[in-house]
Amino acid sequence: MAKTKRLCTLLCRLMALGATVSAAIVMATSHEKANFFSVSFEAKYSHTPAFKYFVIANAIVSVYGVLVLFLPSESLLWRLVVALDVVFTLLLTSSISAALAIAQVGRQGNSYAGWLPICGQVPNYCGHVKGALIAGFIGVILYALLLLYSIHSFLDPLLLRKN
Amino acid sequence: MALETEGKTDSIFNSTAAQKQKDRILLLLRLVAFLATASATIVMALNKQTNSLVVATIGNNPIKATLTAKFQHTPAFVFFVVANGMASFHNWLILVLEIVGHKIDYKGLRLAIIAIFDMLIVVLAAAGDGAAVFMAELGKNGNSHARWNKICDKFQTFCDHGSGALIASFIGLLLLLIINKAETKLIFGGAAIEALGIGYSW
Repeated sequence: MAKTKRLCTLLCRLMALGATVSAAIVMATSHEKANFFSVSFEAKYSHTPAFKYFVIANAIVSVYGVLVLFLPSESLLWRLVVALDVVFTLLLTSSISAALAIAQVGRQGNSYAGWLPICGQVPNYCGHVKGALIAGFIGVILYALLLLYSIHSFLDPLLLRKN
Repeated sequence: MALETEGKTDSIFNSTAAQKQKDRILLLLRLVAFLATASATIVMALNKQTNSLVVATIGNNPIKATLTAKFQHTPAFVFFVVANGMASFHNWLILVLEIVGHKIDYKGLRLAIIAIFDMLIVVLAAAGDGAAVFMAELGKNGNSHARWNKICDKFQTFCDHGSGALIASFIGLLLLLIINKAETKLIFGGAAIEALGIGYSW
């Protein structure tokens, strides 16, 4: 039973690592040039601070994911992992939230502020960014599940035993 | 053996004087966090500014249009208000439970339940903060690549109130995180003794 639990956690962490790595890479390689009424339009992820933050946050969490995979199973550092899991889930959630906010403005514009949507001019860039955001979202959901699981495995067995 | 574990349960879940002191400090921190998140919600929800701007000039007469900047115009700010509202409601509820609800029997799970809810609320508040801070940065600096003009030069009060709400929200988030870490340490501090006694390993 403990072995299957350990295998499931490992699998979950591997998938989360894959999601964050792919989110960072896909966002970093999004780039498109377009010509609109003789005005040259270039869309890159580095033009927007929110997308830069998204790439950096996913890269940091990927490094953390790689390090956690190499932790031996009986080490006392697993308690630190529970605490760090909260912090890194926090980072991921805020980065996906920020990127989603800016992407929504890019897709629909904001008529009150006079901001026009840009997805009409650079549709490939928009599709690329959408893919990165989906991967980031999967990463967030997996990390949230891992957090709930670590809480359960550390707090529940100790307290159930008292009854 | 049962009596020994009951004694350990009591010592983990707050009956010694040192634990009561820590409880009081945590309560104080939570009160400040509640005030911070509640003020962030209220300041952002009441954020509104009307300004009349010159949009065109015909001959010698400037044509003015009255424009309003409201927080509802931006989905990120709406999410910010909702997230901080939920965080302040959670803080208020836990405060009330801690001050008033001493008779409720949690079966020793009080600290654990509070810690779990704290973690969830911290993640939600962080998401709200992240979206709002980047939208505010966009409003302040604009984005020349996407031809989006900045709006803070025309709506100075709106921007100022928004930054105030953001700062308050970040303070609340930081305090919530500190409270959560302190509670986790309290749980693990007691649990480590149990773990060594029962020989728990996974």
